[in-house]
Amino acid sequence: MKAVASDPRFPGFAVCVALFALLLSPLLGPALKKTGGFLLTRGQAPAPSSIKVVDLIPASLSGETNQDSEPFLAIQKDNPQVMVASAFTPNPFSMTGNAPVYVSQDGGVSWALNAITPVQRMTCDITHAMATGESHPRGDLHAGTLDCSSGVTLDESESVDVASSATMSVQSMRGNVDQPFVRALGVSSGDRIYVGVNDFNQANGQTATIDVSLDGGATYKSVPIERRKTAGQDGPSVRPAVANDGTVYAAFFGWRKFDGKTATSDVVVVRDDAAATGASPFQALTDPSDKLPGRVVVKNASIPWSNAPALGQERIGSTLSIAVDPNKSSIVYVGWADKGDKGDIYTLHVRNSADRGVTWSKADLPGTTIHNATNVALAIANNGVVGFLYQQLSAGRWVTHLLQSHDAFTTSQDTVLATVPADQPAEQFLPYLGDYDYLLSVGNEFRGVFCANNTPDFADFPHGVTFQRAANFGARTLNDGAGNLVAISIDPFYFSVPVIP
Amino acid sequence: MRILSVLIRSSFWGAGLLLALCGPTNAAAPQATDNQAMLLGKASIVFSGTVSQLAATSFADVPKSAQTIVVRVDSILKKPAAVSLKRGDSVTVEAKDASAFQEGAHATFYTDGWIFGSGVAVKELGHVLGKVSEPVPAAGSGNAPGQAQGQLSDQELKERMNESDFVVVGRVTDVHKWNARKTKSGSPLHVTEHDPDWREAVVEIQSVLKGARVKGNKVVVRFPNQNDVAWAHSPRFMKNQRGIFCLNRDKATGAPTAKLGSKEVSVYTCLGHGDALPLSEEARVRALLKNQ
Repeated sequence: MKAVASDPRFPGFAVCVALFALLLSPLLGPALKKTGGFLLTRGQAPAPSSIKVVDLIPASLSGETNQDSEPFLAIQKDNPQVMVASAFTPNPFSMTGNAPVYVSQDGGVSWALNAITPVQRMTCDITHAMATGESHPRGDLHAGTLDCSSGVTLDESESVDVASSATMSVQSMRGNVDQPFVRALGVSSGDRIYVGVNDFNQANGQTATIDVSLDGGATYKSVPIERRKTAGQDGPSVRPAVANDGTVYAAFFGWRKFDGKTATSDVVVVRDDAAATGASPFQALTDPSDKLPGRVVVKNASIPWSNAPALGQERIGSTLSIAVDPNKSSIVYVGWADKGDKGDIYTLHVRNSADRGVTWSKADLPGTTIHNATNVALAIANNGVVGFLYQQLSAGRWVTHLLQSHDAFTTSQDTVLATVPADQPAEQFLPYLGDYDYLLSVGNEFRGVFCANNTPDFADFPHGVTFQRAANFGARTLNDGAGNLVAISIDPFYFSVPVIP
Repeated sequence: MRILSVLIRSSFWGAGLLLALCGPTNAAAPQATDNQAMLLGKASIVFSGTVSQLAATSFADVPKSAQTIVVRVDSILKKPAAVSLKRGDSVTVEAKDASAFQEGAHATFYTDGWIFGSGVAVKELGHVLGKVSEPVPAAGSGNAPGQAQGQLSDQELKERMNESDFVVVGRVTDVHKWNARKTKSGSPLHVTEHDPDWREAVVEIQSVLKGARVKGNKVVVRFPNQNDVAWAHSPRFMKNQRGIFCLNRDKATGAPTAKLGSKEVSVYTCLGHGDALPLSEEARVRALLKNQ
């Protein structure tokens, strides 16, 4: 049932890839352009075999047609063969059973669905991280989930073995919050967990918050990180990033005005130099304009807010990412989207700081102003190379790019992971692809997840793709494993791309 | 036997079910058949098969233990449509008591899903030893009877009704936007992607299947109009819609009362998948409520 780029049942596949690449060259033109003096040629791109793209839907769920959008990924760094991915995937056998996650124990080659989250049937937000401080080779998975079965409830939970059938244990829960975003750091004394949340329980509408646990999730402390006057609240995205030395950054949208359609927002970065262990965390960075904690990277950005399809079939309003060099915590990058030029819907920007967030590049880094795009995800590899994952609506297609640079995007390499029709399938709900995708680095790889139309068509995946679910690449159709046709839907895709030298 | 008759009436694969239940070679006593019917209502994956390995698993993602056995599928009686499972496949079953099985044993397994990877792993809820007759495949469901994606099983519907404050048969007489409290600037109190964009439906009650009688025979029901993932499976109400509605007192909007005419009345919500059912489900609902 598996259709694999290198499958011996497709002996002419390498030739096909080359032919497809040739046919697609006008489409992929932007991917091969000269960026910042670095000529990108097909010959310089990693060989197809070194780039891995895998549809996460397992063979035994070949009949599913869900909109499995908004993917996320966690890697067990001490045991990187073990990974956990998630999406808006419902429990496949019960309306009242637990919502599942995808688990890989072989470095992403194969994935299985395991219904272990504490949420009934399907989460309505889920992110997670695997810390290494407590020596569980298939854990510790720390998740932040929203349960929307009756109202919206945040669960912060843990699994010590993601392959077991045990439901994750809930360590903390509360209502009235939005968009949990989990990062974790393993230290010898245990796991430190940082969950960005937009917490409507905070006073004065200063809702940007980091939930901090320094004891593996046994206890959490909610730390408000907004110190300025807001428009009644901050934006939904609150994103932490953790360096190996315990430096913790967080980025958020400080909403200053909101009229229902547009948020006038600052992009703010806070920092803590001691893993948020002190009495007053996240106050290390102040802005020169008002001396308040939180460096304003961009002031009064105009961010469109639409809870209806606005960019193709996708909604827009809060895409934000921050990444810190794991080994040089002075180097930090932030990416966000706002309203760009006239005629543009949503524009991505990336800026950086080399002095622990004190000063920032005045303009977008070269080649990082991306029009009509969303789902920015940044990561920095051990060798300092920055990865910039995004999804762009281009000529009626959703094109998923991974841009890499070792010199702050003066030069860069672009890898197109997928280019799929944007008008199919029809949206089942929002978000269509997700309010985020995700990128991590491990060893000499960037690993990540994105969502896309799952038509089994090699032309849609320039570097090849593996489908676990039953697919006929010749007829470009899906089936249920017994030969019955299955409709196209949105699936989550895992990828691994070698870090450039 | 009442449960059995409900199941048969309500299931689109009734013919196959009947044959399967009546078909074990070791003819079941009435009590055992009732038990099987109960298991069938509760289980999400039911199949007959032959035990091929003990203390083993059929694919690598499943943790092997003394309780895991591998079963070769002979026929499938019930499964969700999304699940790919067919005759000849090997399934890992986490048995309740693996000592009840020997290699080569035939049994019907009543199970719930567990792990879905290159194969299927399930957890046993119950089993009946012996071979069964081949069930009749249900029309339009492929090679095996498959529960349509999103369809509530009897067990799930029973659980849902248990959690409801009211189950009523009624008609929607009005639908209008409900304006939640807002800030001075006019923006909502909390701006999130999960904003429900509440609507109110006025439901004229024709009969109460569960719960106390309602004064005035009309209730206000709030439901989300937003197509966000949080509310994607919530029922949407339309004027003149008739149906069966599972209602809970409103704990979601922060304003649990509303004006209905000149009266202040309690407000209910209808949020879950399957909380609004067509009138054609009335007999099934009544039977399930009666047998709780």
